[in-house]
Amino acid sequence: MTVIIAVSQVLTRLGIKTFLSVIGIEPEYKELAHLDELDSVIPPGSKSYLIIEQSLLVKPESEYLLNIAKKYSKSKILIIGNRVIKNCPCSHFVLNSDNRQEILEKFQDFFSEKDDTSTVNGAEDILSDRETEVLKEVAKGLANKEIADKLYISINTVITHRKNITEKLGVKTVSALTVYALMNKLITPEEAIK
Amino acid sequence: MSKYTLFSAQMKMADIVYHNYLLIPVLGRFGIKYGFRNRTVEEVCRQYNINTWFFLEIVNAYHNRDYFPTEKLRDFSFSDIIAYLVNTHRYFQKVKIPEIQVFIDKLMNSAPEENSKNIKLLDDFFKKYVEEIDLHFSHEEEDVFPYIEQIGQAIDSGNVAEELIERIINEPIEEYERQHDNLEIKLNDLKNLIIKYLPPHDNVELVQKLLTELFRVEIDLNDHSRIEEKVLVPKVKSFEQSILKKSGVSN
Ligand SMILES: [Fe+2]
Ligand SMILES: [Fe+2]
Repeated sequence: MTVIIAVSQVLTRLGIKTFLSVIGIEPEYKELAHLDELDSVIPPGSKSYLIIEQSLLVKPESEYLLNIAKKYSKSKILIIGNRVIKNCPCSHFVLNSDNRQEILEKFQDFFSEKDDTSTVNGAEDILSDRETEVLKEVAKGLANKEIADKLYISINTVITHRKNITEKLGVKTVSALTVYALMNKLITPEEAIK
Repeated sequence: MSKYTLFSAQMKMADIVYHNYLLIPVLGRFGIKYGFRNRTVEEVCRQYNINTWFFLEIVNAYHNRDYFPTEKLRDFSFSDIIAYLVNTHRYFQKVKIPEIQVFIDKLMNSAPEENSKNIKLLDDFFKKYVEEIDLHFSHEEEDVFPYIEQIGQAIDSGNVAEELIERIINEPIEEYERQHDNLEIKLNDLKNLIIKYLPPHDNVELVQKLLTELFRVEIDLNDHSRIEEKVLVPKVKSFEQSILKKSGVSN
């Protein structure tokens, strides 16, 4: 997986990488300070994750973004800036005013494989078999990377499952997911993380 | 009087409580006791040595979630803000957490064996959460707040110690901001575990009380972090900058 960070400040780039490592994403990074170098880092037709600083966009922003989105149609785009861009072809925004939790959730959203428009079926809060399996490993204290290796799936898939699990169950923290798993006897007390 | 009315200094203190009983704990955090008679907000505040304007902004912000006078609140001294925050910590630790614990204990003791095991899981979850809260609070009180007080004193006196400058450079308030955990998330999880997944408990009233308590604490915690993040931190940031500027470290 390739993540392209087009952000002018080194500190911000570093911050982004830290957040991504927190959610277990360890991609190949390409860092840019200008957008005109995009061509040289994105191989045509490849699927990449683009993280772009809003102030690097040429105005009008939405038009400029539309061009980028068209050109690299397989890639996903996330904008970091002060406000949400109107009529923007992408729906992922991290705002400067966001707190830690919000940023984490937004990045998780960004890397989740789910289509932006699809939502979890509200009435169905029953986990799929695969989700149950992932939940068990989470409750045992495994990290995303370990779960991916164990279940032979990609990290993105793990993240997607985790996001769906959280949405369906309505609990977010690992310790609460563990309580849920124990209550429903998905794991034994010995297996649970202490 | 509507939800959007702002309380004023000339209003009767009793009317504040009549108007919104959820403010009862807020008054408690200021150390205000009852038996106001017809004294105004200003009179009662003077009696308790409370900065009336600070009291009013806090009460108004709590009463009306849309009213958050960040700018006005930043005008108050660090000591006023910190004293309020520390009182809130005590209120959580000495009043709210023990109350919730009592409810959980009662639930656990009155459930049949099988469900009692489930409640034990919630009990463990809550106890671990309380440990996190204690750590969070003591870090703030023992490290962050004293640092902020020092910043305030440096600005007031014009004397800046060398160590303070070093701290501003090496561990500015931004560091605290970045690591400031959201304590509400786990609380929310606990609520959801009870509402959705704990097998029905016969003592419905007890469960209701516990849930109501959790919802209230969540509002209180939210209000608390909002003051830390939106009032305290920005104020400290600007003070840090002006100290650095004055000492010629940055320009
Ligand atoms: Fe606090
Ligand atoms: Fe805090």
